Amino acid sequence: MEVFLQRLVDGLSYGSVYALIALGLVIIYRGTGHLNFAQGEMALFATYCVYQFGEWGIPVWIALFLGMGVGFVVGAVSEVALVRPVSKKSPFAVFVVTLGLFTFLNWLDGAIWGGQQLPSSAMGSTQLRFPSLFPAEADALWNVFGVAIRQERVGILAMVLVISGLLYLLFNRTKFGLAMRAVASNTESAKLVGIRTNVVLMVSWGLAAAIGTVGGVVMAGLNSNVNLGLMFTVFIYGSAAATLGGFDSPGGAVAGGLIIGVVENMAAGYAQEWIGQEMKLAVAFLVILGVLLVRPSGLFGTAKVERV
Amino acid sequence: MNPLFTIRQGSTANWVLRIVVSLAVVFVLLWVPRQGGGLITTTIEALTLMSAAMALNLVLGYAGQISIGHSAFLGVGAYTTGIMVSRWDLSPWLTFPVAFVIAFVVGVIVSFPASRIKGVYLALVTLALGLVFPYLLTWKKLAWLTGGGAGLPNSDSELATTGFDIGLAQKGKMQYFEIFGWDAFGDLRKPEAKAAFWYWIALVVAVVVYLVCRGVVKSRVGRSLVAIRDNETAAAVMGVNLVRTKALVFGVSAGLCALPGCVIAIKTGGVSPEGILSLTVRGAITFLIVMVIGGAGSLWGPVIGALLYTFVTDKTGEWANDSAIPGVLRPLFAWAQIPPADGMFAILLIVLMFVAPHGLAGTWRQYSQRVVRIVPRPAGAVGAAPAAPPSDPH
Repeated sequence: MEVFLQRLVDGLSYGSVYALIALGLVIIYRGTGHLNFAQGEMALFATYCVYQFGEWGIPVWIALFLGMGVGFVVGAVSEVALVRPVSKKSPFAVFVVTLGLFTFLNWLDGAIWGGQQLPSSAMGSTQLRFPSLFPAEADALWNVFGVAIRQERVGILAMVLVISGLLYLLFNRTKFGLAMRAVASNTESAKLVGIRTNVVLMVSWGLAAAIGTVGGVVMAGLNSNVNLGLMFTVFIYGSAAATLGGFDSPGGAVAGGLIIGVVENMAAGYAQEWIGQEMKLAVAFLVILGVLLVRPSGLFGTAKVERV
Repeated sequence: MNPLFTIRQGSTANWVLRIVVSLAVVFVLLWVPRQGGGLITTTIEALTLMSAAMALNLVLGYAGQISIGHSAFLGVGAYTTGIMVSRWDLSPWLTFPVAFVIAFVVGVIVSFPASRIKGVYLALVTLALGLVFPYLLTWKKLAWLTGGGAGLPNSDSELATTGFDIGLAQKGKMQYFEIFGWDAFGDLRKPEAKAAFWYWIALVVAVVVYLVCRGVVKSRVGRSLVAIRDNETAAAVMGVNLVRTKALVFGVSAGLCALPGCVIAIKTGGVSPEGILSLTVRGAITFLIVMVIGGAGSLWGPVIGALLYTFVTDKTGEWANDSAIPGVLRPLFAWAQIPPADGMFAILLIVLMFVAPHGLAGTWRQYSQRVVRIVPRPAGAVGAAPAAPPSDPH
């Protein structure tokens, strides 16, 4: 029971990171219908910036907000300068541009902060020590039903729920959220009723990157270091979460992220013989493949009607 | 606009041009192994990279199915060679056809989801496949076959000594190719003789991959691929069997992609997930970048892209060290702590998407026509075929 609860909490905190990345993917997908392959690397760049602010002596929470600002600018500029002009050409061009951004940002991190580019894991990379947002000492524990639970994990989960709540309010209770939903449902009509779709899309990308930044910082905090390979696998988990929840459903993204996190940790823990730490990623792969084959709209997404 | 020169296909001028170009290519190909050293190693890398990019081009450039998982197919090839030679002591020659067949089957399996999953979703699935593949190799349950995280040994295997038995030569001994005392294939007696030998294997593989791609593209299947890329529904209506065609192209592409994997395994002398960068997802991204920069949907695009990528990466490889940067460029790159090649190619990729979506090959075709245009024989002549307009990738 104790092991189960600990694995559950571990899974939920890693799942929170996946949920944040998935949220970013969903926000961009709703607005423009593009899958942003650079989502993880935008977050990683901003996370490196947070590290740098920390080096300059800025407290980690303030650094987080500054980093979110950096992420917002990176996302917004990418949309305005690169994605928007090229999206008139073809979806393939957008894909190539996001992939180019992915490579460029990863290289830029390495060029500024040092470290070898990595194939698939964090081994051998220059790792920079990264502080946690919440108390992460070994004795920062809470006793819940006799089970010791680390405060850090609870804090992360709470933060993700707060962010999701704020986003819910933004989407459903503000005028800007209404504009975002209008753009998501029909860009042309939204333009006709006077919504400045360009601004909405720019802010969507910025917002997505800023939320991703929180994910990156939390992930770096969980690993207590930041390196160039940090977001490689997280991006795949995040995509799996978005796929599972449905690519156009923010709530689904959060639920999907938490489910993936828990399933992955349980699988690694209870099926050590078969899955273990190495094959955790296969869980994400199977989820993506299975969901896309069986139910492409995911758990909470709206089914797309294709007219032939 | 009228070109400066117009050459009719099949005319004397056309043949002279063809012969001059072929001779130049043959001269360069024979010249490289005689240089030895760094050039030959870089050329081998370029040849393997272009083979993989050409294989990817079939699936992505012609059929329009985005794949970021081709590194896995290359890995299948590399591990086939590694396992067959190191575990079962079979001839390395035998591994090429076997790797092709195994990768073909894997590719066909991958194509079945691809017939339902489209566009960027397929990219996502293949990206996940590419990321999972190295972990699959280190999986405990497969360690009896793949050797787990350590891979298959470098020493004490036939791979390491490259005792490639050419024909009936003794095992462990290199055969010399001499034509009247002139070592046409590079000096195979020097210590670096292995490099020359690998070079010829890599070259043959690249040529084979090119010819197969050319054969597929110019055939009926190739035209169905382009039809699928441009409009899948219309292609189906016109009678293209989507499932079968996609299965075929994925299979052929995967099989071809496995061949450079075999070359890399032979050259590295051992296989492990960390030892061969091309079988990780970064390799797949490199194939894609090389292919798009060179020109998606053109036969020569990947060749140009791979040569450019490998030689620029090689030249700038030391640039993390500031004093290695040539003077004029030093202020531009001195701040970077890692070599600038990856960043440069990422920028080039993005810029090309804006100014020249057909890549370098497309740009070359566009501008070279202002100087020399080769026109087909007039209609009615024997075997005349109208020149295809430059096709539009995506």
